[in-house]
Amino acid sequence: MTRFMWFQLVSILLILGVLVGICVLEDRLVCDALSSVRSYCYQIEVAVDENDGILNNDVSTLLNNLEEKWFRDEANLCFMVNHKSIQEIGVEISRMKTYMEEGDRKEFMASLELVKLYEEQYHHFMGASFHNIL
Amino acid sequence: MLTIVLRAIIIYLIVLFLYRLMGKRQLGQMQPFELVLTLIIADLATIPMAEISVPVLHGIVPLLTLVLIHFALTLLCKCSSKFSRFISGKPVIVINPDGIDYKALKNLNLTVDDIMESMRGAGYFSLAEVQYAIMETNGKMSVLPKSEFSPLTVGDMKIKADESALPINVVAEGKVMKENLKVAKLTPDDVKNLLKKAGINRVKDCLVLSVDKAGEVFAQAYNKKYTTFSTRPLGEVSE
Repeated sequence: MTRFMWFQLVSILLILGVLVGICVLEDRLVCDALSSVRSYCYQIEVAVDENDGILNNDVSTLLNNLEEKWFRDEANLCFMVNHKSIQEIGVEISRMKTYMEEGDRKEFMASLELVKLYEEQYHHFMGASFHNIL
Repeated sequence: MLTIVLRAIIIYLIVLFLYRLMGKRQLGQMQPFELVLTLIIADLATIPMAEISVPVLHGIVPLLTLVLIHFALTLLCKCSSKFSRFISGKPVIVINPDGIDYKALKNLNLTVDDIMESMRGAGYFSLAEVQYAIMETNGKMSVLPKSEFSPLTVGDMKIKADESALPINVVAEGKVMKENLKVAKLTPDDVKNLLKKAGINRVKDCLVLSVDKAGEVFAQAYNKKYTTFSTRPLGEVSE
């Protein structure tokens, strides 16, 4: 084997490794980010029902945690996905915080439903699935 | 704007690396699948460069994937001639001693004008001069002229000629090419002597100095006319 052939072989293996690495990383990031959003949404729903309102520490803490986790995940997802396509959840979380301060439960719950809806919709263009491939 | 500049640099370097990896084929020598690859690469590379919201990885990942496909196809073509024929097609004789093969022409979607153009490109202007013409898989036409129209060679004349010698550049743009000095089996002192003989005082004044195996020297100083002279033949030149 000539030096160029070695260079080609090493490069191909490197490219293959990089591609596999990126694909695995993307899938893990997407799964982790979306499942944590889903989980927080259900926890907030339960906390609102249990405390019969949105003006309490449980909901506030959960919402802060959701915001912190989502913005961290969003920053990582932007390496893989067009960030224009995943900005709705962040916007709705910010709205939820405003509604909580205003004590507007109806709008708060509507935004929460929207976050859940976006979380489901994001599966249509993020991560690996037969649906996305075609 | 800085983002676009940096993205352009990153993508340019990656595309450059990928083309380097794929070898040195020229555009005209490309097989159909290589041409497809080149067109797609050009298109893919521009998307993340111009659109900031699109991650650079959206450009890089398909590029890397295409290069892997290219290598897989190249390997398969090397391993199987049937697969190679399927992917790249096979050379087709379009002109034979009977003239133009119209059936082959139709199969290739070519016209007589296309054939004449390719023939002229190969240096033959009349169909009567051509014995065979073959349309290669890369779209170029190879022409075998009739014997009466073939260029005369030294072999035809049955005369002995000196072996062609490959000139080696020992000085280029004022710099001594150390690697080439070794190949030409010359020392720095030899170079100085050759330059002196050519009327050039300093190495940095020399635009080019080349020597071939037979000892023919070509020397040119900056903004001056070249000189040629003979010196002792070099030792065996390794290429």
